[in-house]
Amino acid sequence: MSLTQAVFILLGGMAVLGALGMVTLRNLFHSALAMILALFSIAGIYVLLEAEFLAVVQVLVYVGAIAMLILFGIMLTRDIVGRASAVRNRQWPLALAVSAGLLAVLAVALVRAAWPLATYAPAQGGVADLGLALMGPYALPFEVASVLLLVAMVGALIIAREARE
Amino acid sequence: MLQYAWLVLVFPLAGVLINAFFGYRLGRRACGALATVAVALSFLWGVGILAGLLNLPAEAREVHLALWDWIVAADLHVGLSLLVDPLSVVMLLVVTGVGALIHLYSNGYMREDPDYARFFTYLNLFIVGMLLLVLADNFLLLYLGWEAVGLCSYLLIGFWYQKKSAADAGKKAFIVNRVGDFGFALGIMLIFATFGTLGFREVFERAPVTLQAGGAVATAITLLLFTGAIGKSAQIPLYVWLPDAMEGPTPVSALIHAATMVTAGVYMVARTHVLFALAPVSSAVVAAIGTLTAIYAATIALVQTDIKRVLAYSTISQLGYMFLAVGVGAYAAGIFHLTTHAFFKALLFLGAGSVIHALGGEQDMRRMGGLFSKLRVTGITFVVAWLAISGIPPLSGFFSKDEILAAAYHSGNVPLWLIGLITAGLTAFYMSRAVFLTFFGDSRVSHEAAHHLHESPPTMTVPLAVLAVLAAIAGLGASAFNGFLEPVFEGAHAAEAGGLPEAALIALSVLAAVVGIALAWLMYQRRAIAPERIGARVPSLHRLLYNAYYVDYGYQRLVVRPLHALAQWLARSFDLGVIDGIVNGVPALVSGMSRRLRGWQSGYVRRYALSLVFGVVIVTTVALVMVRTI
Amino acid sequence: MLPTLSVLNLNGAVPQIAVAGAGMLIMLIDALFHRGSRRWAAYLALLGLAVALARVVESGASAETILDGALARDGLGMAFALVLIVAAALSVLVAMDYLRREEHERAEYYALILFATAGGLAMAMANDLVAVFIGLETLSISLYVLSAFFTGDAASREAALKYLLLGAFASAFFLYGIALLYGASGTTRLVEMGTAIRLAGTQADPLLWGGVALIIVGVGFKLALVPFHSWAPDVYQGAPTSVTAFMSVASKVAAFAALVRLLVVVLAPAAPLTSALLALLAVLTMTVGNILALAQDEVKRLLAYSSIAQAGYILVAAVAGEVGAAAVLFYLLGYAFTNLGAFAVVLAWSRRGEGRLPFSDLAGLGFRRPWTAAALSLFLLSLTGMPLTVGFVGKLYLFGAAVQAGWTWLAIVAVLNSVVSAFYYLRLVVIMYMREAEMPLALQRAGLALGVALAVCAAGVILLGLVPGVALDWARQAVAVVLS
Repeated sequence: MSLTQAVFILLGGMAVLGALGMVTLRNLFHSALAMILALFSIAGIYVLLEAEFLAVVQVLVYVGAIAMLILFGIMLTRDIVGRASAVRNRQWPLALAVSAGLLAVLAVALVRAAWPLATYAPAQGGVADLGLALMGPYALPFEVASVLLLVAMVGALIIAREARE
Repeated sequence: MLQYAWLVLVFPLAGVLINAFFGYRLGRRACGALATVAVALSFLWGVGILAGLLNLPAEAREVHLALWDWIVAADLHVGLSLLVDPLSVVMLLVVTGVGALIHLYSNGYMREDPDYARFFTYLNLFIVGMLLLVLADNFLLLYLGWEAVGLCSYLLIGFWYQKKSAADAGKKAFIVNRVGDFGFALGIMLIFATFGTLGFREVFERAPVTLQAGGAVATAITLLLFTGAIGKSAQIPLYVWLPDAMEGPTPVSALIHAATMVTAGVYMVARTHVLFALAPVSSAVVAAIGTLTAIYAATIALVQTDIKRVLAYSTISQLGYMFLAVGVGAYAAGIFHLTTHAFFKALLFLGAGSVIHALGGEQDMRRMGGLFSKLRVTGITFVVAWLAISGIPPLSGFFSKDEILAAAYHSGNVPLWLIGLITAGLTAFYMSRAVFLTFFGDSRVSHEAAHHLHESPPTMTVPLAVLAVLAAIAGLGASAFNGFLEPVFEGAHAAEAGGLPEAALIALSVLAAVVGIALAWLMYQRRAIAPERIGARVPSLHRLLYNAYYVDYGYQRLVVRPLHALAQWLARSFDLGVIDGIVNGVPALVSGMSRRLRGWQSGYVRRYALSLVFGVVIVTTVALVMVRTI
Repeated sequence: MLPTLSVLNLNGAVPQIAVAGAGMLIMLIDALFHRGSRRWAAYLALLGLAVALARVVESGASAETILDGALARDGLGMAFALVLIVAAALSVLVAMDYLRREEHERAEYYALILFATAGGLAMAMANDLVAVFIGLETLSISLYVLSAFFTGDAASREAALKYLLLGAFASAFFLYGIALLYGASGTTRLVEMGTAIRLAGTQADPLLWGGVALIIVGVGFKLALVPFHSWAPDVYQGAPTSVTAFMSVASKVAAFAALVRLLVVVLAPAAPLTSALLALLAVLTMTVGNILALAQDEVKRLLAYSSIAQAGYILVAAVAGEVGAAAVLFYLLGYAFTNLGAFAVVLAWSRRGEGRLPFSDLAGLGFRRPWTAAALSLFLLSLTGMPLTVGFVGKLYLFGAAVQAGWTWLAIVAVLNSVVSAFYYLRLVVIMYMREAEMPLALQRAGLALGVALAVCAAGVILLGLVPGVALDWARQAVAVVLS
């Protein structure tokens, strides 16, 4: 086992652990922390794949912004912090079974796949290439995504404003 | 003349549009007159078309009129095109001729109904649909007309929708006909899949080449088409809607549920005779179902007390005769009986309507009797129709029925012939019973009904008289009729086999009729044999017949209710509860936990999510199994 | 080399730009000078859609790409775009009077409709799976917000929340499917993906099959195919009726556009599998949708289930792959008129502040509101598939395509389902004309905009039913020009 593999297993294990913790911990605040662990581990995997820029973005956006937002939300909501909430309901055994089934089917697909290897080395100046791609071949998704964000913003405003009135 | 054949559609269509939008503004008289004139014009135009056709040499009497391209796509071409040939012209004349008389009659019959404009709109719309059906030059147009007349039929059965039984009857007709129409639609699809076209000319020309005689495809197509005919023409097992259809106004029963629409199935089988010729099995099925229906419905008619129900079962039985005819290849005989039946059965219904009208709505024959002297015209015309349907020479029914029985005999199906013969006797019996109970003997009319007993107005009696003349003399034109239709059905001759000579067959069928009438006379006129006594001797049989073999009851128990329950159950369980059900089952495994959490969450989103993921697992599994990677 | 504007060729993206741009303009004007009535926003939205429509019609189809290969200007994309734009314009007309009546007239409504349309246009015309996904998300998020638009209304809020949660779920699967397909082919461009799959041969690559399955799940959710339909009845019923009308048509058009493109361009080599999966879903969707519709007693929910079943019918032609593409397109065009029209009548007749329209409210309206009732009857007959309406020609074409592709049994199931559907559609007609109202409901006068919308829908249903030839030819020629 090479060092890379060892690091990957470590990071992957942490990500899975974080995800499991997020759905099983009884304290919502702890769940959020577990999610941050998972997101961090994934950033680590990006580093391992030599996608440093992506790793930085992952940390900035997901850990820095989204996770923080969630934590703020939890802390600002009365009666949630420090209180154990039920994490299971009557359908959990069924949900577990169905999820396990999904995992099994996807695992079969992923294990049996002959993963094609990239025939070219990862580009060096990652950020520059990314920028060019977003202005060139991926200009369309990029622009549509900006509309998407606008919609999300408008939506948040509509719902929040009406609730205040 | 022939190029303008489409005008027969235009007159009633104009009637529909005018009456739909301005009917109530026109007033009662103008509205009814307009509708009647529209159909009468169509009839006159039809006579012109007949003359035009007769001018052509016999083998050229097939005119295809392409009016308008409806659906034009690369692989599908359907036009609004009409086919004018002897068969369609006969149907055209029957529909518009009888139709015009019944329209005229309706002017009197419906004169107190506030919804007259709606009535005449539907009635004219029916004529449009029926003409489209008989003039269609391709299966799609035929289907369009088929659906249109069906729609009008439901609308008119449920015309007095305030009456629950009428609304229910409309619904029943609709549902039962759906079953038949489904088969019909499938048949058309199969034709399209086989021939790549829906045009009559193309299909019939290619059929002998494309289809293997007696092969599975030919049999499947014809059986599916016949399924449609079973529904529309009320044959076993889909006949149940027709007796209930008598909830509609009587002119509707006469026009739609006796003379024209219900014969559409017979017309369709005759029209597609090229296909049926290639499928002997299907033809045998047609003949068998027809014969069975004929005797079956006749036995039920023996004991009914509602005059319109007697006539309804009689119609089912006579339709059975027509299917017997087309089933044994005697297409011309079938269409001939269709024509004479249109005359005498329409007359019977209109006569019954006149009686009901005179008695202020009474339909039970046990409360009639002795009306012959009071209702002169109605009585005389009714008697003519009675003798015609019973098969007494030289009235029309004798010729047409005899032709069918002879064809059945010569086709070698002696059992079918025998059943047909017995049915002829039964027909004579129940019709005589109806006549004696209604028009002769002592009056059992209630006092207040007797008080304003009156003969119907001329708008109602004139159609009766005209139809009576037709019912009496139409039989004399039998050979001319057959000769006219001959080119259409060439190559479809019923086999001539030996056996009893023609005269013996005729004698036997007349004998059957006479025996039937005589027996009824003894029982209901002379009272030499008390019918009540016979009924009391075999009470279960009487009950069985009176309740029409409990078929409706059986359908209700075996088909309708289980389906209803299934839909309800599915709605409940699928909508909210497939997952609920499973979830509720799981507590057995994890009981303590689930009980504690019950009521904690009331939203259903988690269940929706669960069912979604469940679907994902299924789809992915199917995908992976299908490519055999697991 | 830096890309230049000429490489991007924005000229070809005018439809999207016009639609999204009009939306932004509405937001801007509303923020700067909002006073009084918001009717101007509707007119501006219509103007934006008109520009887009004109551009789509005038520029014509060609099998070329713009925006560096990301956007296909082929007939398939343009044709679906056209249907989508027409549907959006009708939705705007339908909403105008309704929003005012319900006192929720706000400029953002029209902006959101436009943004949703822009997302749908991206789905219809994108040649890149990532763009398809982002278009799908734009459409979806706009619809989530629109569902919650009547914020004071608990049902509206609940519908939006359900839709959002389940939609996020489905999006995750869709995204996973994209990842798997990317793994199998090494590209996100549809055309190149198709080439890669063809070159790899039909040998069973689990990534490909897994990806196909998950993509179908994602699209299936948007189309509310059974078993991914559970959100639809609740959301259709809870959302404002004008939104339901838009949603029931626009998401179908956009999702079918993407599905057809995927089937034709990318997954043609995998046809046996995709057809089998879609056939399975089609049977389930038609049957379950119809049976559940039978048990309803409220028009809006009935139409929700009917929409589910209708998606099943369309899927029958999608099973036929390339052969069925024209049928899918034509049916959707007719469906846009029919379904929007039906919902427009529901919206005109429902009580103020209440989305529901119980069957009993319909009683007697056949005579009290003859024109509107006639229009609703027409739409219902078309949904049933009665001859002389577009529904008949459309179904004939859909099922014919299935027969042509050898799926006769599927066509038979579809016809059987149509027969069943006649029960619940015609029941409404019967109630309108053949039952007296127990308690006549107070009807508002329908506004001019709604009247125009209804007239356009009715005219569309009749014209396409009477002279379908032109539109059928158009559909056939359009789908023949496919980027590949």
